[in-house]
Amino acid sequence: MSAPSARPARFITALLAAGTIAVTAGCSGGLAGGSPDASGSAEGPIALGMLAPFSGSESAFGAYMENGAQLAIQEINEAGGVLGQQLELVVEDDACDATASVAAANKLVTEGIVASVGGYCSGATLPTLPIFDQAGIPMVIPAANSNDLPDAGLPGVFLINGTGTQQAQSALQYAQEQGAASVAVIDDATSYSADLAGAFVEQATEAGVEVAFEATVTPGENDYASVATQLAQEAPDVVYWTGYYQEGALINRQSVDAGFSGTFMVADGSVDASFAEITGEGYTENVVGTFTQTPDMLTGAETWIADYEELAGEAPGPYSTQAYDAVRIVAQAIEDAGSTEFDAVVAALEGLDGFETFAGPLTFTDAHTRDSGGFVIVSIDPESGEFVLEDDLLG
Amino acid sequence: MQLIWNGLIVGSFYSLVALGYSMVYGIIKLLNFAHGDIYMLGSFVGFVVLSSFGGIPASASIPALLAILLLAMVVTGLIGVGIERVAYRPLRRSPRLAVLITAIGVSFTLEYGIRQIFGPNPRAFPVRLSSESFDALGVRVSVSQLVLVIVAAVLMFVLAHIVERTREGRAMRAIALDPQAAHLMGVNVNRVIATVFFIGSALAGAAGVMAGAYYGSIDFLMGFVIGLKAFTAAVIGGIGNLYGAMLGGLLLGLLESFGSAWLGGEWRDVFSFLVLILILTFKPTGLLGNRVVERM
Repeated sequence: MSAPSARPARFITALLAAGTIAVTAGCSGGLAGGSPDASGSAEGPIALGMLAPFSGSESAFGAYMENGAQLAIQEINEAGGVLGQQLELVVEDDACDATASVAAANKLVTEGIVASVGGYCSGATLPTLPIFDQAGIPMVIPAANSNDLPDAGLPGVFLINGTGTQQAQSALQYAQEQGAASVAVIDDATSYSADLAGAFVEQATEAGVEVAFEATVTPGENDYASVATQLAQEAPDVVYWTGYYQEGALINRQSVDAGFSGTFMVADGSVDASFAEITGEGYTENVVGTFTQTPDMLTGAETWIADYEELAGEAPGPYSTQAYDAVRIVAQAIEDAGSTEFDAVVAALEGLDGFETFAGPLTFTDAHTRDSGGFVIVSIDPESGEFVLEDDLLG
Repeated sequence: MQLIWNGLIVGSFYSLVALGYSMVYGIIKLLNFAHGDIYMLGSFVGFVVLSSFGGIPASASIPALLAILLLAMVVTGLIGVGIERVAYRPLRRSPRLAVLITAIGVSFTLEYGIRQIFGPNPRAFPVRLSSESFDALGVRVSVSQLVLVIVAAVLMFVLAHIVERTREGRAMRAIALDPQAAHLMGVNVNRVIATVFFIGSALAGAAGVMAGAYYGSIDFLMGFVIGLKAFTAAVIGGIGNLYGAMLGGLLLGLLESFGSAWLGGEWRDVFSFLVLILILTFKPTGLLGNRVVERM
């Protein structure tokens, strides 16, 4: 690994910041042990940072992502590490909340990570982009996929999950295959949700599909009677809910009760086993979702699933594979770059060509998004309440 | 018409929670900010009891739910009394601000205590009321909504009976007028205040169980918004006035229903709190608040 003087100034700043904190902690007595060795990143393990929700309404996803990333790190370390050094994962809770994520991102920077492999909620990930950018830390974002992320135009930001535009394409494609003449869209005003809803409306309008209405709800309420009533009255063939599962499940139930009989399509933020539990028995037949593939939907992933279960003690879930891929992509890029220096790693990421991931071969576009979205359609299995593959949209 | 019905459903939740707010304020002039969290506790009590029973057949869901409802009312009622004893009674002669701050502290304690026990994720309520629905006068009415409105109406009727016709009720009204004089007249002030907390908390707990069964999803922060809404409802109706709380709850439900139909769902909270501000500005005593007696 190169000497600190070879790194760009901003990275040195981050190291200095980390050093200052370590020194201060040392002076105040006994806390230094908790901080990473500030000067030792040339010798110690290469630290990768991950922001994910471990508390709050999305907390289930944090563990899935962490374990996926840990599995990749374990495999890479067993195979000799990267540039002869071991990898290490540093995890912080962003609670799917912008304030918490900024604090957590700053913490990761001071802990001396060289790349970020986290990011689940777009709204929480967005404010962390400038923090990592200023610290010279490239980001490979496994789950968050709002168009706002690449639109920020920062050089170190890469998305390995399809964007809102790509997800909206899949949603519209399925709606049209089902012969839908009119669609509606409901979002929850978060960055990810509003972005996806906007893309869907735009594409539907272009494709000549009637958009019956657009609505926005406030997350965290229980009563969505007004939007449910509107759905029942306008009666679109397909409604696309772009928010998260808790509200989605309630809106679905209340809409069916209000007399809505069309397809209730949800985006990947709502694809969770709790959806069926909250929406209740007998309310799941009309539900489909747009989603990136999870290992249980893939054929030939049995070994991977077994490894994961051995590591985590539970089955993999949504975004386990993406987090796993994010670590492998970063490791590959550092290996290709021959250093952890920002520009070199970014150039190496841009240079990846057909890197094998769970969602297919990956090449980054100029906007640092993947060239193919990899979205599939899932529906709820009435027996288990789990989302299962319905249509891979490949024809 | 559908809007009215939707509004009445939400309004009946608001009314039940607002009653507790209003009763407590009427008696000891305390805004019990932990009241919304009692509602949340009610739904978690229901959740725990129902989960420990395992599956309950759908046919038995209404009687089972009524039994749970009563049980949860007793539990939350006792919790309410406990809170009053521990957090409010020692401060009864302190400045009002101190008690208000304690109330907020209690609220956070309840919220994050539940979060510690049950985790931050929303839980699915184990029993659902059947959602068979029928059309009446052009309105789509489901059985669960009907059950809910009836239970709420019965609870409110019982409460009105207690306050208007029993000795306890008379004592409550006496304390509301003047606690010292009531005390001199031989009213056991502490006991009556405890009773008020019991009844108010039990009503909130009942609303919590019903919300769990109706909406199906409960989480540790669910009491926060409804606490604010119930406060708004109590102010609209005239805080301290029981009929005002009932009326205010129903009115607020209707206002929200129409407001979100006109302006869109994301404006619902803006709309209801705007109403709160308007009421406070132009008629701070609320709609039925004319009978407020200023104590010397």
